[in-house]
Amino acid sequence: MNKITILVVEDDAPVRNLITTTLGAHDYRHVAATTGEAAVMAAASHNPDIVLLDLGLPDIDGVEVIRRVRGWSSVPIIVISARSEDADKIEALDAGADDYLTKPFSVDELLARLRATQRRLALIQNGGDRQSVYTNGQLAIDYAKGCATLAGEELHLTPIEYKLLCLLAQNTGKVLTHKFITKSVWGSSWENDIASLRVFMATLRKKLEKGPDSPRYIQTHVGIGYRMLKVE
Amino acid sequence: MAITQNKRREHILACLSPAPSNERIVRTAARMAAAFDCPMTALFVRTPDFDAAPPEDQQRLRANQQLALELGAAVETTYGDDVPSLIAEYARLSGVTKIVLGRSAAARRRPFGKPPLTELLLAYAPDIDIHIIPDTRARASYRPRSARETSPRSLLLNIAKSTAILAGATALCALSDRLGFSDANLIMVYILGVVLTSVVTTHRVYALASAVISVIAFNFLFTTPRFSFSAYETGYPVTFIVMFLTAYITATLAMRYKEQASQSARIAHRTRVLFDTDQLLSKAAGRDEILHAAGNQVVKLLGRAALVFVSENSELTDALPFAAPDQPMPAYDEAAERAHAAAALAQSKPDAQAAGAFLYFPIRMGEHVYGAAGIEPGGNPPDAAEQSMLRSVLAACALALENEHNDRAKKAAAVLAESEQLRANLLRSISHDLRTPLTTIAGNASSLLSSGDSFDAATRRQLYSDIYEDSMWLVGLVENLLSATRIEEGRLTLRTSIELLGDIAEEAVAHIVPKAKDHKLSIVQEDELLLVRADAHLITQVIVNLIENAVKYTPPGSSVRVLLKCEGADAVVEVSDDGPGIPDADKARIFEKFYTGAHSVADNSRSMGLGLYLCKAIVKAHGGEITVHDNAPHGAIFRFTLPLDAALAGAALSAEGGLTRE
Repeated sequence: MNKITILVVEDDAPVRNLITTTLGAHDYRHVAATTGEAAVMAAASHNPDIVLLDLGLPDIDGVEVIRRVRGWSSVPIIVISARSEDADKIEALDAGADDYLTKPFSVDELLARLRATQRRLALIQNGGDRQSVYTNGQLAIDYAKGCATLAGEELHLTPIEYKLLCLLAQNTGKVLTHKFITKSVWGSSWENDIASLRVFMATLRKKLEKGPDSPRYIQTHVGIGYRMLKVE
Repeated sequence: MAITQNKRREHILACLSPAPSNERIVRTAARMAAAFDCPMTALFVRTPDFDAAPPEDQQRLRANQQLALELGAAVETTYGDDVPSLIAEYARLSGVTKIVLGRSAAARRRPFGKPPLTELLLAYAPDIDIHIIPDTRARASYRPRSARETSPRSLLLNIAKSTAILAGATALCALSDRLGFSDANLIMVYILGVVLTSVVTTHRVYALASAVISVIAFNFLFTTPRFSFSAYETGYPVTFIVMFLTAYITATLAMRYKEQASQSARIAHRTRVLFDTDQLLSKAAGRDEILHAAGNQVVKLLGRAALVFVSENSELTDALPFAAPDQPMPAYDEAAERAHAAAALAQSKPDAQAAGAFLYFPIRMGEHVYGAAGIEPGGNPPDAAEQSMLRSVLAACALALENEHNDRAKKAAAVLAESEQLRANLLRSISHDLRTPLTTIAGNASSLLSSGDSFDAATRRQLYSDIYEDSMWLVGLVENLLSATRIEEGRLTLRTSIELLGDIAEEAVAHIVPKAKDHKLSIVQEDELLLVRADAHLITQVIVNLIENAVKYTPPGSSVRVLLKCEGADAVVEVSDDGPGIPDADKARIFEKFYTGAHSVADNSRSMGLGLYLCKAIVKAHGGEITVHDNAPHGAIFRFTLPLDAALAGAALSAEGGLTRE
């Protein structure tokens, strides 16, 4: 059932082997590329469903690869970075990457990210992001009515909370950077906006995730941003 | 002369003048500077009347200045007419220890004139050595003429005042005469008139004229025979002479007293301003604050707009405008002004200032140029007194900047030395401690490669899991080392942003949960929405390290609790466990680098003692504090604080306000 194609871009052979072996063992098809140029070519010719992209490539910068691929394709891109600096991840995410993994990562982590991205793909293929009613687990947003419900009960959200929720829902599965969110919601990215964002997100999460057993809808990426998870 | 035991570095000041003998003074000063191996400054006090000096004097002065430059002196010019106080002030501000001047300047003394320069200098600067060079050649051809302004308006005003007082005195005398009072009363009235004249006019000549006219008027109007210049009584000539002398001397004394009063008022004002400036400058922290304090002081002092340029690596960079009180900043072209200021600084001719919208004065201390201050000349250029006060303020400013600069350099050197030391320690420790896990990984992997088939499944599994665990330990170590280098590379590398402490704590716990399956982890948020300005990664690391420690040093099944709360202006994070606790002996040293305590934990060799040291460094860099306490009934509590940002709290409140408005 997992017959989707994944383009693996990684110049380091042992890491590439680790990834391709893992993919093979879990029934994914894969194509490998070792340079940025080859990656852009492969993305065009093989039309992969997901791209796993290492940021430190020998020829061109990984972020540049993202920009070029985004020129004509919206294929989900998961960035793999050895750099633990947030700035690189944020740059990649702002350039159009969907998610990121930091080396060293565990095999479980890699597979979890792939599953999340697949769910996002399924959503996009169903046209889920364009429907007038969005559903995710018990959460439902009626864009036309401008209201959100959780398990059938209407959520009492402030206008800004509602805006944030819609923004996250429309990008379910994608990590949105703080800058992207504040620019979209407030139109600016001042420090006060980021402080407000933190508070609004915390209160929004409290309204969505009542009690320890409730599913997690919003994932916090400390230092980077937030992501709406697809809940089964 | 004996070299003083004083540790203070000598600094010689040669007084320049246009006198022909001045060359000798410059050369003598230069020889002294060479003998003491100390800097030398050649100073010329330019009095307002120097412009009227003959061209040959000006020519000679330039030659003397040139000579001083060639002999390695710094050539300076100050402006003003109070020569000794200017020299003394310059000497005080520049740390001059010896002043060299010529006898021609030293021995100029007239009856009732000012005391000689040397005496005044001694009075103003008693702790500076003064060397007088004998002058065998001709006296200076240049003698200062009256520096008083002689505009027709003030002339007329003075004459009018004198005439009015004289007329008043005469009228009073006529009245007394009519009433039959004696001559003595009339003489006293005239003397009073002369003294009054000396008080209200600006020059002694009016008092002198007044005295002469008074005597003549007394003779003409009130001695018999009336209305003639002859006098019958034989005593009158003596009376006239005594009357004249009394009037003149009293007037002279009154005038001198007046001068001294105004001078001491001026000195008091200047002292007051300089005192204020010194205080403001010593309170200012950092270069910008010092420049702002100086700029504001200049504006307050002169009531003119000022433009201060900051000098960095001998380039003028930022321009700081200071508007005059209640007036807008005059329009100026910054690039052009920068060029003018640079020209003024580069000026080798000491007494020429580049003309722009502002008049520039250097802010410098010895060789170091810290900037240039421009003041708006407006309609009337600053007079000598203003310029001299301005120079004093700027000199004080330069001194403050120099101190600040030295402090910064010292601190930077200390930080550098400390981080070098840490790096060395770290490398020593790492190279030893990395070997253990690397040996296990390499050994296990190689046995699996060479003879993996001969092991049974359980053995293979054990080897694989050993490799996995050791590599995970290395991953954690590398994380800590990366943080350590970031901290030690200078505290500026904190990448702070506004973070919700709850998010950070949750991230840290999520990071540990897979590794701590045998422990009960929980987060309790007593206060929510704790916004802090922090480096998210480093603070996550602190919490991760604290939880990992708790997990490592407590038996399986123990519970570890992370508590977040707010205490005053601080956010508090507590990581508590119910393990055996920490002995008091260890508590004091637990945050030291490479301290591992006496724990008999199985993998003690893996404990580098870096984790808690790092926690302390990170928390400290954030302006917080980390402490360790006992938990009741047993266990340990690690507790650290982070300052809550007041501005952020406001932002958070306004955001929360948004919750209620629906």
